[in-house]
Amino acid sequence: MASITLDNVGKVYPGGTRAIGDVNIDIADGEFIVLVGPSGCGKSTLLRMVAGLETITEGQIRIGDRVVNDVEPMDRDIAMVFQNYALYPHMSVRQNLAYGLKNRGTSKADIEKRVAEAAEILQIGPFLDRKPRALSGGQRQRVAMGRAIVREPAAFLFDEPLSNLDAKLRVTMRLEIKELQRRLGTTSIYVTHDQLEAMTLADRLVVLSAGKVEQIGTPLEVYRKPASTFVAGFIGSPAMNLIKASSVPHLPGTAHAGMIGIRPEDLTVSADGPIQMKVAAVEELGAQRLVHGHIGGDAATVTMASDATLSDDLNLTYRPGSLHLFHPETGKRID
Amino acid sequence: MKRVVFNNKFLPLLLLAPQLIITAIFFLWPAAQAIRQSFLREDAFGLRTEFVGIDNYTALFRSSEYLNSFSVTLIFTVSVTVVTMVFALLMAIAVDRLIKSEKVYTTLLIWPYAVAPAVAGILWWFIFNPSIGILPYVLRQVGINFNWIFDPTDAMIFVVIASAWSRISYSFLFFLAGLQSVPASLREAAAIDGAGPVKRFFTITLPLLSPTTFFLLVVNLVYAMFETFAVIDATTLGGPAQSTNILVYKVYQDGFVGQNLGSSAAQSVILMGIVIVLTVIQFRFVEKRVAY
Ligand SMILES: Nc1ncnc2c1ncn2[C@@H]1O[C@H](COP(=O)(O)OP(=O)(O)O)[C@@H](O)[C@H]1O
Ligand SMILES: [Mg+2]
Repeated sequence: MASITLDNVGKVYPGGTRAIGDVNIDIADGEFIVLVGPSGCGKSTLLRMVAGLETITEGQIRIGDRVVNDVEPMDRDIAMVFQNYALYPHMSVRQNLAYGLKNRGTSKADIEKRVAEAAEILQIGPFLDRKPRALSGGQRQRVAMGRAIVREPAAFLFDEPLSNLDAKLRVTMRLEIKELQRRLGTTSIYVTHDQLEAMTLADRLVVLSAGKVEQIGTPLEVYRKPASTFVAGFIGSPAMNLIKASSVPHLPGTAHAGMIGIRPEDLTVSADGPIQMKVAAVEELGAQRLVHGHIGGDAATVTMASDATLSDDLNLTYRPGSLHLFHPETGKRID
Repeated sequence: MKRVVFNNKFLPLLLLAPQLIITAIFFLWPAAQAIRQSFLREDAFGLRTEFVGIDNYTALFRSSEYLNSFSVTLIFTVSVTVVTMVFALLMAIAVDRLIKSEKVYTTLLIWPYAVAPAVAGILWWFIFNPSIGILPYVLRQVGINFNWIFDPTDAMIFVVIASAWSRISYSFLFFLAGLQSVPASLREAAAIDGAGPVKRFFTITLPLLSPTTFFLLVVNLVYAMFETFAVIDATTLGGPAQSTNILVYKVYQDGFVGQNLGSSAAQSVILMGIVIVLTVIQFRFVEKRVAY
C-alpha cells in the first residue's frame, strides 16, 4: 500500500499531440481516486503513465516515496484492470490469476493459496479451470479483478473496467468494486467517463478536461461547488443549466457573473418568478418529469412533479442560495 | 433469406461442369493413370507391359537410392521449413515493432514471393556459382571453400537457401498479420504481471500465434516437398552424388529421364499418400482449433 503523487505531470505523444498538461494530484494511502472527464480528455493516458505503459514527458510520478518515472511497469508494484479485461485467452482462469505470481517466483503452495482466496472473494471458484472465452462478460470482469488482487499490489489502476457490461451488471459490479476496495484498503485510481459511476465510487474526484485538471474534491464538494462551467455541466444528471447572465433579468448578487448556473431541481414554477423559459419538449420519468426548453438563448431543463400543469411559457423562480456564478472570460467559479 | 430453388436438375451440374471437368482431366485422370502404372512394368523397348502387382513398391523400399532420397527429402524439407519460418517470424517481429515505415518494409519483403521458383533458382545459381558467384568468392576471402558442385553438404545448404528465400515472404505476411492481431493490452497486462520482453514473447505472443504457426508449418512442408522441383532443376539437378535428389525430383528423373515408368509411378503414388496425410492432419487441426 502506498500514496501516489503526480507533480507537474505532462505528456506529449510522439507526433506532437499534447494529451496531458501540468497535472498535480496527491493521492493518500488507501484512497479511492476517480479520474473523470469526457472521452479523449486524457484519462487513460494519465493512468497509463502511472502504470508505466506510457513514458512521462514532463514532471514526476512517485509511488510511495519512490520516483517511478524510469521504473518498468512490473517493478512499480501496481495492478491494472483493462477495459477489455486483457485476459490471456490461451490460459485457464487459474493460470490467468497465477501468471503474475509465477513470474515473480512465488512458491507453488503460496500461489495456490492466494488464487483460492481471490477466487473465494470474487466468487469465481467454479470457473477456475475454464478458458476466458467460456465466461460471460461479468465473469470475465471478475477474473480481471482477481488477477489484480492476487498480487496484493500497492495500488490498483482501473481503466473503464465496467464499460463493456450491461447497465444492470454495471451497477452491481460498481458496488462490489467499492466494497472490495474498502475491504482491502488498497490505493486505487479509477478512470471513467460516466459521472454517476465517478460520484458513487470516489473518495475524491479528479475532473479532467483537455488534459488539464478542472477540479479535485470529494463528490459532494464537486457537486455543490463546481470550480468551472465545465465541471458544472459535467457533474450531475440532469446537467446544470448554464445561462448567460445577460439573458435573464438582474438577479441579486450576480453583478460580476458572466454565466449563471442553476441545477434543474433548484428551479420551480411560480407565476411571479423572474426567469422566463420557453418549453420545447417534455420527458416523463414516472416519479417526475424533465421539461426541456430555452432560457434566453441557452438550452435549459427543469424537473417538475409529474402532476404539475404545463404551458408553453413558464415563469420560474430558484431556491435561494442555489445559484452558481462563473467568470465571464475564464469560466471559473466566483464566490 | 429466401432460398432459390432450381427445378431443373441439370442446371447445377452444368454450372459445376467446368470445375469438375478440369479436376477430372488434370488431377483425377493422371492420378488414376499413376496408380495403374505403378502396378505395371514395361520392357526396355516399350513393346510389352505386364502386371507385376506391388513389385514396383517393394523394389523401391529395397533400393538404397530411394531410401537415400527419403532421408535427403527429410533433411531438406525440415531445413527449408525451419529456415523459412524462423526468418519470417524474426522479420515479422521486427516489422511489427515499427510504426511508421511498416508499409514500405512489408512491400519490399513481399517481392521475393513474386519471383518464380525456377527464376529464383537461377538467381541463386549465379550468386552461389563456385567460379563466377559472389558468395563463394567472399567466403574464400575468409578461408571457407564453398563448392556445392562437389560437396554434398554445401549443395544441401545451397538448395535450402535458394528454396527458403522465396517462401519467407509468404510466411512473413501471415506472421505479421498474426502478430498484429494480438491485442496490445495483453502484452501490457503481461508486462505489469512481471514478464520481461522475452518471457512475454514465449508465454503470450507465441501461444497466440500457434494456429498461424501450424498452418504455415503444413503449407511450408508441402512446399518444400513438392514445389521445390523447379529450384532443384535449375541448380543441382539432384547432385552431387544424389545428395540433393529429393523425392519429387527423383520421380521426374526416373520417369522422364530414366524412362522407368512403373517405378516412377509408384513413387508418385507414395508422394500422393503423403500429401493426403498432411492435408487430413491440417483439416483435422483447423476444425478442432477455432480461433480464440
Ligand atoms: N498513442 C497515441 N498517440 C498519439 N496520440 C494519442 C495516443 N493515445 C491517445 N492519444 C491522444 O491523446 C488524447 C487523450 O487520449 P486518452 O488518454 O485515450 O483519452 P481518454 O482515455 O480520456 O478517452 C486524445 O486526444 C488522443 O487522441
Ligand atoms: Mg480511455
